[in-house]
Parts: sequence; C-alpha cells; structure tokens
Amino acid sequence: MNNIYIKQAIRGIKSNPSRTLLTTLGIMIGIGTVILVLSAGEGFKSYINSQVEAYGTNTVIVQTSIPSSTKARSSGSSNEPNNSAANAVPVMTLKTRDIEDIKQISNVKNAYGASVGQQIVTYKGISKTSLIFGAHAARFDIDKGVIAKGRGYNEQEDKSLAQVAVLGSKIATDLFGDSDPLGELVRIGNNNFKVIGVYESKGGFGPMNEDEQVFIPVTTLQKKIQGIDYLIYSVVELIDNKKADATSLDIADVLRSNHYITDPARDDFKVQTQKESLSTFDTILKAVTFLLIAIASISLIVGGVGVMNIMYVVVTERIGEIGLKKALGARAKDILYEFMIEAVLLTVIGGIIGIIGGSFFAYIIAKFAQSTGLAWKFIVPIWGVVISVSVSMIIGIVFGVFPARNAARLDPIVALNRE
Amino acid sequence: MLIELKNIIKNYENGDVVTKVLRGINLSVDEGEFVAIMGPSGSGKSTLMHTIGFLDRPTSGEYLFDGENTEGFNDDELARIRNDRIGFVFQSFNLLPRTSVLDNVILPLLYSGSKTNYESRAKKALEAVGLGERLHFMSNQISGGQKQRVAIARALVCDPKVIFADEPTGNLDSKSGHIVMNILEKLNNEGRTIILVTHDKQVALHANRIVTISDGEIISDVLVPESDRVHSKEIEEDLDI
Repeated sequence: MNNIYIKQAIRGIKSNPSRTLLTTLGIMIGIGTVILVLSAGEGFKSYINSQVEAYGTNTVIVQTSIPSSTKARSSGSSNEPNNSAANAVPVMTLKTRDIEDIKQISNVKNAYGASVGQQIVTYKGISKTSLIFGAHAARFDIDKGVIAKGRGYNEQEDKSLAQVAVLGSKIATDLFGDSDPLGELVRIGNNNFKVIGVYESKGGFGPMNEDEQVFIPVTTLQKKIQGIDYLIYSVVELIDNKKADATSLDIADVLRSNHYITDPARDDFKVQTQKESLSTFDTILKAVTFLLIAIASISLIVGGVGVMNIMYVVVTERIGEIGLKKALGARAKDILYEFMIEAVLLTVIGGIIGIIGGSFFAYIIAKFAQSTGLAWKFIVPIWGVVISVSVSMIIGIVFGVFPARNAARLDPIVALNRE
Repeated sequence: MLIELKNIIKNYENGDVVTKVLRGINLSVDEGEFVAIMGPSGSGKSTLMHTIGFLDRPTSGEYLFDGENTEGFNDDELARIRNDRIGFVFQSFNLLPRTSVLDNVILPLLYSGSKTNYESRAKKALEAVGLGERLHFMSNQISGGQKQRVAIARALVCDPKVIFADEPTGNLDSKSGHIVMNILEKLNNEGRTIILVTHDKQVALHANRIVTISDGEIISDVLVPESDRVHSKEIEEDLDI
C-alpha cells in the first residue's frame, strides 16, 4: 500500500525537475552548511589534536597562574585560574629548581621549563621580529619537532649560558634564503647567537607558529636577554599517561611545598593534562559549531517554507488529478499521504544534494589546509549525515502537512469540475 | 433494485443566492439496465449523475444503493463505494499524465486495499477494451479514442456494479465514438449496469431506457423500443496513432 504513495510522489516530483531543484535549494544550502560546518569542525579538531600531540603524546603542562583568591579580591569575578602570561602582573615563582624537583616524581620521565620573549632577530641587515622561545634542553627529547639540519643544544650549553640558537623553518628562510644558516651568527637583542640547528616545518599558523620562532637555552634567555629568573610554563613528560591525573596531583604537591602554599585556593600554578587541554578546546569548538548550525537552521526553515509554498502551488495545479483520484476511490488519507511523501521526498533530495555539496566544500577546505602544511583531515561525520537526512525529513513533514491537508480535504466533485 | 432515488433535491448556495439544481428526483434503476440521461446543458443531468455516483451529496432526499440507505455514510465509506462498486468514464478521459496505460488502469486497484494481481487484473481489463497491446505506452502517446478506452478499462478493473459515463463520446471523432459505444454495449450485454449522460440523441439511443431531465426535474422516462435502438458495430482494431 505504501508503494503507491511513493510512486505517485515520485511522479509528481519528476513532472517538473527544474522546479524541484529550485524548491529544494533552501534545504540544500541549509543542509550543505550544516555538513560543511560539522566536517570543518572535525577537520579542525584533527589539526588541533595533532598540534597538542606535537607537545609530546603523554605530557602534562604546568602553567603559572595568578592565585584565584588574590584575583577574587582584585577583580571579584570568576574562579578560573588565570594564565599569568596573558596578565599584566607576572607570576615569578616557577623556577628551574621546581622543574628539577618535578623530574624526581616517580611517573615523570622528563620535563622542561620555558620562557618566551619577543625580540628583533637580525642577520646581515635583514631584521625580523620574532618570538624567542627559551627552554631547557630536555625539550628536544620531549617535543615532536624534527631538526632538519644541525642539532639542538644540550643541558651543558643551557647551564653555561651558551649563545646558541635553533631556528624555525620559516625564519631560517626569511633570514638566510637558500644559504646555509649553520654556524652563522644572528643578532638577538644585543647578543650574537650561533645557529646550530634548523627545524623542519611544523605547519602552524597564527602568532604561535613555531616555524617563525627562534629556540635558545632558557637560562641564556633569562639571564642575557630578559633579566629574570622565573619560567612561564613547563611541559612534563610522563612514563604512564593513564596515571596522568594522579601525577598532576603529585606535581601540584611538589610545587605547593616549594612555593610554601598550604591552601590550594592560593595556587600560583595550574597543572593541565592533555585530556583537559583537549576538552577545553572541545568545549569552545562545540559552542562555535552550535552557533554556526543555528545560523544554518535559519536557511533550513526558509527552505522549508519554500517547500511549503511550492506544495501549495502543486496542490492547486493538481486539483483535477486529486478529484479524479477521489472519484476512483482514493480516501482523504491516501491523498494526504501522497502529498506528504512528495514534500518529504523533496526535502530529502535537497538534503542529499546538500550533503554532497557540503562534503565537497569541506573536502576543498581540507585540501587547501593540507596544501598549506596543516595536519588537517577530511572527515564527514556519519552522525551528521544521519541527522541532516532526519532533519530534512522532519522539515518535509512539518511544512508538507498543511498543503497536503488542503489537498485531502478537497471535495471530489469540486476538484473534478475545476479542471 | 440497484439504485433508488426518492425525492432527491440539490441546491447550490452562493451567499444569499440559492440555485435549485435538482428539484425532487425520483428514479429507480435495475441491475443490468442501460440508461441514458438526456437533457440540455444546465438541466442538472451532470449533477444528477454526480449525485448517483457519490461524487456529490444531495441536499435532501433518500438514496438507496444496492438496498442500503447511503445517507449516513462518511467520506471513507463513500470512497470505498466509488472504488469497488462504481466505475466512472469522463468526457475528458482524465488519465494521469506521464503514466503508462497499465499504471493508469492499476490506479483504482491501488486504492482498493486488495494487494494481489494488480497487473493481471489491469491487463484483463485492457484486453476487454482491445488495448492489450498498448500496456506500456504513456497516456499521452495514444489517440483520444484509445484514451477513452483506457478510461473504460480503468472503470472496469475493480469489477463495479455500475458504470457511469459522462458524455463519453463528447471529445471523440465519430469512428472512435462508435468503438467506445460498442464497448459499453458489450459490457451491458454481459450484464453490467450502464448509466450514460449525453445530450446527443444518437448516442442516447444505444440505451434501452432514456430519462430526460429539464430544469432539475425528470420530464420523461421511456423505454426504447428495440427497433429504435442504435447499435455500434464492432470496428476492426486500429492501433495506428
């Protein structure tokens, strides 16, 4: 019995293919946008995952942070620990000694502390403003970055304030072009540094693009450039990532003891596991995704109204046919279902074209991102496809029901005579 | 008695204006009869046919169909009667466009709720009107006369008690008209009740009884003497379009 409804609905849709296409345009754009947003979101997530993994796959990050109780007094707002690097008042308590103590914790394999500062880097008259990234030598063991040429510095060089530098791939070409930077001297601030290594491109973007940074021993940075003795953050590599939460607590204990803190509310640091940093990012991504989907939904509603419009026109156009069918014994229910299914088919066709179109654009974005060197995967989430098809069906039902009811209620003789 | 109308009145109301279309029709039709309803346009003959055919409800009066009083029937019950007890043939054929001959004839079966033998029953009906070779033609690829024969097959397919034909030859050339009337005659000879609406005396004379209606009232109801009846000869199958 259902077969007939579908057959009649398909006949209706086939009767005017170009109108069918135009009618479903709104649905196509809406569903296409939803798929594009979801796919781009997944792609971006894959990129962020790869970036986070670049810090090392089983790491914990220790950031300095303004104690929340202090902040509560000054700003009176949230309890979120604040990253001091983004704040006017630096927290000056995280020291190299803390890193050494953290290394003694049983599940800790290795750790480094880091400080950053912006400086002008000059070579033979070419100047670049660059982020100078100072880290302990352990960074070269933990970080996944690959040194293409030369070597990293060692612990001895760090302790002895050696003026050596490893360049990001982009700043290396910016300063040296095609010539070999190894062994050359670059000027950072008021000091000359010998280039001992060049990184392979990591493919990042934005202000934190490591390809544009210069890496030097953290102690050299502190003493010779910045004139400070504290660190901004530390990356701790774990032996067993499953115990990350327990180890985070151990790290907190060590830091509290070193910083004479008894009340956790006065912590001047924040320990973040990889899982936590990903989940923070995930929350933001979800919020953005929902926002974009909400915008796309407007297009879906407009599309639904378009379908409803056309279905009203179609009902008027086919009044004679409806009369005939009723004369042949079709019940109101039969006519209702035929028109409903036609509306649902219209929206589902639009939805499917939208899915294909959205995926296509997402693919182009992924290819473009990959071509700029980002570790961006092309993913179309299956649940997104399922939801999109369901949503188009629901739109078809919701916006098809009124025209279909109009059609079903027609008096057979009125309908027949009107032809 | 298959059809029994008692004092059927049909009024159309348009605002304050009431148009009396049928003014107390009394009519009985036995099973197996071939009745022609005649009358000038505007006489109410089409409205009468629509009322007898359950396409329209009378304003008042009693209508017994096959012994049942139909007054309290709801829309679905009327749809069921239209589907399996009545077949319609219209002047303008009313075939579904972009649909094959076979599917057009299957259509009433689909609404019948029976689930079997759609195709074989539709084929049988098409063979009965001499179109067994045209099953898969589209409805717009055949001639007017053939279209009307498809419409007759469609009216036949649910094996109805009565076939209503509203000016079935009105849009046809005389040759096609003869073919159509010949088919209707044959169906009547097989025992099926036919009710034909026409304003054409020559067409009406195919019937064995002529009911004439004027201004919504029956003004004459006569049996046609066998000697006066017109019989359309069977014309050789001509399937060239």
